[in-house]
Amino acid sequence: MSIKYGLLALLQRGTMYGYQLRTSFEESTGGTWPLNIGQVYTTLSRLERDDLVRSLPEHDGGQRPYEITDAGRAELATWFATPIGRGDRPRDELAIKLALALTTPGVDVPGIIQAQRTATMRMLQEYTRMKQRTAGPADLSWRLVLESMIFQAEAEVRWLDHCEASLARHAPLPTPPPATAPETVHDKEKTA
Amino acid sequence: MSVLELRDVHRIHGSGEATVLALRGVSMIVRPGELVAVMGPSGSGKSTLLNLAGGLDGPTQGEVAVEGTVLGGLNRKALAVLRRHSIGYVFQDLNLLPSLTAAENIALPLELDGVGVRRARRAALTSLAEVDLEGYAQRFPDEMSGGQQQRVAIARALVGQRRLILADEPTGALDSQTGEAVLRLLRAKVDAGAAGVLVTHEARHAAWADRVVFLRDGVVVDTSGPLAEPEHLLDGASS
Repeated sequence: MSIKYGLLALLQRGTMYGYQLRTSFEESTGGTWPLNIGQVYTTLSRLERDDLVRSLPEHDGGQRPYEITDAGRAELATWFATPIGRGDRPRDELAIKLALALTTPGVDVPGIIQAQRTATMRMLQEYTRMKQRTAGPADLSWRLVLESMIFQAEAEVRWLDHCEASLARHAPLPTPPPATAPETVHDKEKTA
Repeated sequence: MSVLELRDVHRIHGSGEATVLALRGVSMIVRPGELVAVMGPSGSGKSTLLNLAGGLDGPTQGEVAVEGTVLGGLNRKALAVLRRHSIGYVFQDLNLLPSLTAAENIALPLELDGVGVRRARRAALTSLAEVDLEGYAQRFPDEMSGGQQQRVAIARALVGQRRLILADEPTGALDSQTGEAVLRLLRAKVDAGAAGVLVTHEARHAAWADRVVFLRDGVVVDTSGPLAEPEHLLDGASS
């Protein structure tokens, strides 16, 4: 997701200036997605260019509030109504890393899996600690964000367990290297 | 002082060709206020470790000490007293006695330990309140849901002054909200000064622990503690 929709959703509540947008954004995601003020203003100027928001006259304090336009409301409604496709998310670097590790000679694949599992577990512990500190309905928004991260980390650990089990099961069954690329030796075949 | 200490513990099952090296040189210390999760695939030695920690089984080599007492040095009777007095067990199969009420199930280990019936009952009621089951003292196990029965089993494990809580997949087949309530209870008991060991294959449950020990083929392959600075977690969240 881009910051664009986050800011549009906040402006839907009412006019806000840059600093308020940043604070509200971080509050609604429990600080799991920190923004710098530069990102906020860059996004606001793009939104203004596309007629999705408009800037209002400056306050006495020199702060310029922004309000959402009808086009902005329509854009936001479309975003809420459209499911997020898997293809819209970045490619999974970890899956690619493991796939490459399997086909690269001399790489300790079980070692990579364990190191990743420990790192992911550590994150999961920390998310859980953060979750323990939440209480009450006021925290619901960001607890849901946090739980999303918890479930994703859990899924990653489960997938790593699965990779390890697959590796253990298939390791004793060496298959001949492909004739077209004899230099590409499966790591486990090399050690088996 | 540590509540639980395993020193270079080995456990071999069977002999000859049927020998299984369940644990191979495991060392571990669990202090008061500390919850340690043990994770690993089936057959990695998790349950063997828990049985050794609880004095339900003895090591082939090495030592297990609970509150400084080496279990191998105790006779059967002394070991049974230590188990009843200092150790609380929460297992996946709840082992609640069907002919006893919730309160009676909880009071039973105290009564076996020589505590008077009235005192044991008072402690049982307190323990039931801790797991939010105040009104269920007179219910029999088959009059309660799976989640409620699990909470009774936890209340029984936590009753009295247990210093070491051992839990083997305590959330069993519970739904995620009820399972989380069980973990919160365990965490609270540990935060109040007990030491806990939680065996689980679920990462989300292990994450409630202060440390996670990974077992593979009877060997500790890695240990994960939480980060000191949670801010690091948020790096990359904006990318």
